[in-house]
Amino acid sequence: MGRNTPGTPDTRGTPDLPQGTLDMLVLKALSMGPMHGYGIGQRIQQLAEDLLRVEEGTLYPALYRIERRGWIDSEWGLSDNNRRARFYTLTRAGRKQLAVETADWAQLTFAIGKVMQAS
Amino acid sequence: VTPWLRRCAAVWRSSRIHDEIAEELQFHIDRRVEDNMRSGMSPDEARADALRRFGPRLRIHEDGYDVRRAAWSDTVIADVRAAARVLAKQPGFTSIAVLTLALGIGANVAIFTLVDAVLLRPLPFREPDRLVRVFDDLGGASAADVGMSVPEFEDLRDRSGVFDEIAVIFPASTALSGGDRVERIELLGTTPNYFELLGVRAALGRVYGQAEWAPGFIDGAVISNGLWTRQFGGDPHVIGRRIRVDEDAYTIIGVMPPGFRHPGQSLNGDIDIWAAAGFVAPPFPSPPVRNQRILPGAIGRLKSGLTLQQAQRRLDAAAAQLQLTYPKEYPAHLRWSVRLQPAQTALTGNVRPTLVVLLAAVSFVLLMVCVNIAGLLIARSSARTREFAIRRALGASRARLVRHVLTESLLLALAGGAAAVLALVAAQQALIAMMPADLPRLTEVHADWRTLTLALTLAIVTGALFGLVPAVHASALDPNRDLKEGGRNGGTQSLRQSRSRAVLVMLEIALSVVLLTGAGLLIRSFSAMLQQRPGFDPNGLVTGQIWIPVPNNPKANRYLQSAPRAALARDLLGRIGALPGVEKAALGRSNDIPFLTNVRSPFPFSFMDAGATPESDHAADFGGVTPGYFDALGIPLMGGRVFTDHDGDGAPRVAVVNEAFVRTFSPQREAIGRPFRDAGGREAQIIGVVGDVRDDGLDAPPQPHVYTSIFQNPAFALAVFVRTRADASTVQQALTRTIHDADADLPVFGVRTMDDLMSASMVRRRFALLLMSLFAAVALLLAATGVFGVMAFIVGQRRQEFSVRRALGAQARDIVALVIRPSLILTAGGIAAGLVASTVVTRLMSKLLFGVSAGDPLTFTVVPVLLGIVGVAASLVPAMRAASVDPSAALRAE
Repeated sequence: MGRNTPGTPDTRGTPDLPQGTLDMLVLKALSMGPMHGYGIGQRIQQLAEDLLRVEEGTLYPALYRIERRGWIDSEWGLSDNNRRARFYTLTRAGRKQLAVETADWAQLTFAIGKVMQAS
Repeated sequence: VTPWLRRCAAVWRSSRIHDEIAEELQFHIDRRVEDNMRSGMSPDEARADALRRFGPRLRIHEDGYDVRRAAWSDTVIADVRAAARVLAKQPGFTSIAVLTLALGIGANVAIFTLVDAVLLRPLPFREPDRLVRVFDDLGGASAADVGMSVPEFEDLRDRSGVFDEIAVIFPASTALSGGDRVERIELLGTTPNYFELLGVRAALGRVYGQAEWAPGFIDGAVISNGLWTRQFGGDPHVIGRRIRVDEDAYTIIGVMPPGFRHPGQSLNGDIDIWAAAGFVAPPFPSPPVRNQRILPGAIGRLKSGLTLQQAQRRLDAAAAQLQLTYPKEYPAHLRWSVRLQPAQTALTGNVRPTLVVLLAAVSFVLLMVCVNIAGLLIARSSARTREFAIRRALGASRARLVRHVLTESLLLALAGGAAAVLALVAAQQALIAMMPADLPRLTEVHADWRTLTLALTLAIVTGALFGLVPAVHASALDPNRDLKEGGRNGGTQSLRQSRSRAVLVMLEIALSVVLLTGAGLLIRSFSAMLQQRPGFDPNGLVTGQIWIPVPNNPKANRYLQSAPRAALARDLLGRIGALPGVEKAALGRSNDIPFLTNVRSPFPFSFMDAGATPESDHAADFGGVTPGYFDALGIPLMGGRVFTDHDGDGAPRVAVVNEAFVRTFSPQREAIGRPFRDAGGREAQIIGVVGDVRDDGLDAPPQPHVYTSIFQNPAFALAVFVRTRADASTVQQALTRTIHDADADLPVFGVRTMDDLMSASMVRRRFALLLMSLFAAVALLLAATGVFGVMAFIVGQRRQEFSVRRALGAQARDIVALVIRPSLILTAGGIAAGLVASTVVTRLMSKLLFGVSAGDPLTFTVVPVLLGIVGVAASLVPAMRAASVDPSAALRAE
C-alpha cells in the first residue's frame, strides 16, 4: 500500500471538501458531458490536478441525492469498454443550479480571499 | 482486458443479481481494479485497493445506498417495500413459495379451527368449567352409565352437597302430530332447572324455569331453531301455539337460538324440543322406586370452588353411605357408584385422539413446508451472495442484512397466510360439509378472529423459522472473500449453503417418514377393519324405526300394556312381509339395529342358578325380536333354537344370547338352559346361542347381547328389517304407507340401507384416513422436491468438477454414481432419523389403530423403501444433467 503511481496517485493527504461543495463539483463535471459515477470521480480529480479526491463513500450518496432533486438524470448505457454502466446527465434545472452555484462560489471565494489576505 | 476480468464479467453477467445499485457499484469497483492494474498493481492488490476505497474507512451509509430505491428512511415500511420489490422480481419463486405456504398454513388453520371448536373452546354456557355429566356405574357388573332412579337423583340434588344445580337429561323419541303426517322428533325431558343450570335464554319467547316445577310434565315446551324453521316456517308468532307431542298437548313458550345445542348425546340427530317434568308423577312411576333406574342421565353444575376431585370424593362417600342405608337396593358386590366427568370431555372425549393425531400430522406438514422454503431461500441466497457481499462492503451491518432477509421471509409467509385465509373463508362451507356429520360441536366450527389470529401467528412463526437459515448465511458473509467468490462455484459460502440444505433435506425426509408411517398405520387399520365380518348379511337389507307414542296420561295410552304392543308387532310384521318386493321381514327393538350405536345401554341381569354371588350379576344389551329376525339378517344359529310364534304371552319366557354373551358370562357352563332375572324382575331361560354381530362398528368387539321374543317383551322403540331388492326410498314410502294403514299415529323414521349405516359407522375413521393420506402425499411431494432441489444445486456447483472428470475419461455412469451417492446418504440418514421418530410418535396413535400394532413391520418396511425410491428418483434428473456436461465447456470457462 502507499505506492505512488501515476495512474492512482495517493491522495490521502489532500484537503477535505468543504461541506456542500461536492454537489457543485458533480454538476460541473457533468456540464462537460454525460458520465458514469467512476468517470465523474476521475474527471473531478483530473480537473483538480490530483489535488482533490472524491471519496466513493460520499460520491454515490451525493449522486442519488442530486438525482432526487432533479438536477441530474441517469440511464444505463455502455462504457468505453462495452460494460453496462449508469450514465448521469445534467438536466436543465441542473444547468441553472450550476450557474447559481458558480456565481455564489465566485462571490464566496472572493469574499473569503479578501478576509484571509487582510494584513 | 485480462482473462481474470473476462471471467469476472462472465460471472457478473451470468449472475442473477438485478440490483442496479450493486451493478453500478460493481462497475465502479471493476474500473478501479482495471486502472489499478494498468498502473502496475497485481490483480489481488488492485482488487483489495478497490474494495478498501469502499471499505470500512469510507463507508457509504445504507441510507445513501437506498436513496435511489425508495425514499429510504430507516423504517420497517421501507424494509417491507424493498422486500416486496425483490419478491416481485422473481414471480416464479414467489408464487411457488406463497402457494406452498398457503397450503401448509391453510391446512393447519383448518384443522386447528376444528380442534378449537370441538376440543378447546369452552362449551357456550355460563361458567362451562363447572358443568359436569353425572353417570351411574355398576362396577361389579362391568356396566357403565346404567342410568339413575328418581330417588338417586333426589339424593344427588338435595343431600350430596356437591351441586349448585343438577338436572335430569332424558332424550326420547316422540311423535309430533298436527302436520301432514305424524313426524318423529327428538324430545329432551329435563327437570325445570335445565336452562337455568346452563345459563342460556331463548331467542324468541322464554325458557322454562325451576319456579314452574310440577310432579309430571309442565305445559310449556321450548323448541329448537331447527324445528322452528322446519315445522313452523320460522313463524315469529309461534309462541303460544299448541302442539301435540306423543298425543299430549304442550304450549310453545320459547325458541332457542340457532347455535344452541344440548351438551350431550341424543338418540337420532339434534334435540328438537325440550319439555320439563318433575319425574315423580305419571308417566313416571309414582311414587318413585329406588332401584328403577328410569332416568338415563344428569348434568350438574358443581358448587363454586369445588374441584372435580373433591366433588368425586364426596360422591364416593355418599354412595358408600347409601349402600349401608339400602343394602337390598345396593348389594355390595354390584359396586354401585356415581361418576363425574367434565361436560366437555363427556361430549367430545371420543373424538379427541383422532383430532390430536390430525393436528400433530398437519403441524408436521407445516414444518416440512418451512424446511422446503428454507431450502429454496438458500438456493436463492447463493445467487445473491454477491449482492449481500457488496452491501456489506458498502457498510450495511450484519443486523441490517438479517433484517432484510427476515423481512422477505415474513412477507412471503404473510402472503401465504393471507392466501390461506382467503381460500378457507371461500371454501368454509364445503370443508365443513366434508366433516363426519356425527362429529360433536360441528355446528360451532366456523372461521372467526381466532382463525385470523392463528393464521397470522403461524405466518410469523413459519416466516421466522424458514427465514432463519438464509439470514444466518447472509450475516456470515465476509465481504472481502465473498465478493471475490461472488457466487462462484465451490466457495466457502456455497459450501456452507449446501451443507445447510443437506441437513434440511434430511429433516424433510425424516418428517415425511413419520407422516407416511402414520398414514400407513391408518390404512392398515382401515383394511383390517374392512376384513372384519359384520356377523350378518348387510346386502339388500333395509332398516327403519317406528316410535309408539307414550302419552303422559296412562289412560290415553293405547299401547300401555304389552299385549296390545305384541298384537301391533304381529300385525305390522304381517303387513310388511306382504309388501311387494319384500323377501324377508322382521321386527326388533331400535337397539337390535346393528351399527346404530347411540341407542344402546346396558341393562343389568343376574343368573338365578348362581345364587346371590358376585358371579351372578352382569349387564348386557337387551333386545326383543320377531322369530324371523335371525334369518332375515343372516345371523347364524350356533346352538339351541331361535324363537317361534308360540313364544308369546303366556308361554315360558325365553331368550337367545350371542356368543360374546357366552364367552363373557358363561364360559364354563353350558349357557343354553340357564335361567336369569333382569333388573325389571322378569325371568327368562336361555334357549339358543347365535353368532356375534359387530353392533358398535367393525372395529369394536362384539358386546354381550340378549335377544328376547318381541311377543313377550315388546318395546316402544321398534325396528323394522326388510330384505329386498328395492332401494331405501321406495322401501321408506311402502313402509310408511303400510304402517300408517295399521295406525296413522306411528311415526316411521330412520329408513336406511344397512350398507349406508355401516359406511356411516366408518365415517370418522375414513375421515382421519383421508386427511392423513393427504398429508402424507403432500409430505412425499415436498420431500421429493427437497431432494431434487438440493441435488440440482450441488450438481450446479460441481459442474466444473464433473466436466474435468469427463475430460479425464470418466464415464457418464460414473458421474451419475457420483451424484446419486450423496443423495443416497442423505435419504438413508433421513429415513433412519424418521424411523426412530416414528416409533415414538406412532405410539400416540394407538387409540386410532385397529388390528395392527403401532410398530407394524409391514408399514415400517414399506415406508423406508418407498422413500428410498423417491429419494433416488428425485436425484436422477440432476444426475443425468451432471453426466451430460460438456467436457470442454467448463474448461474453456476456466
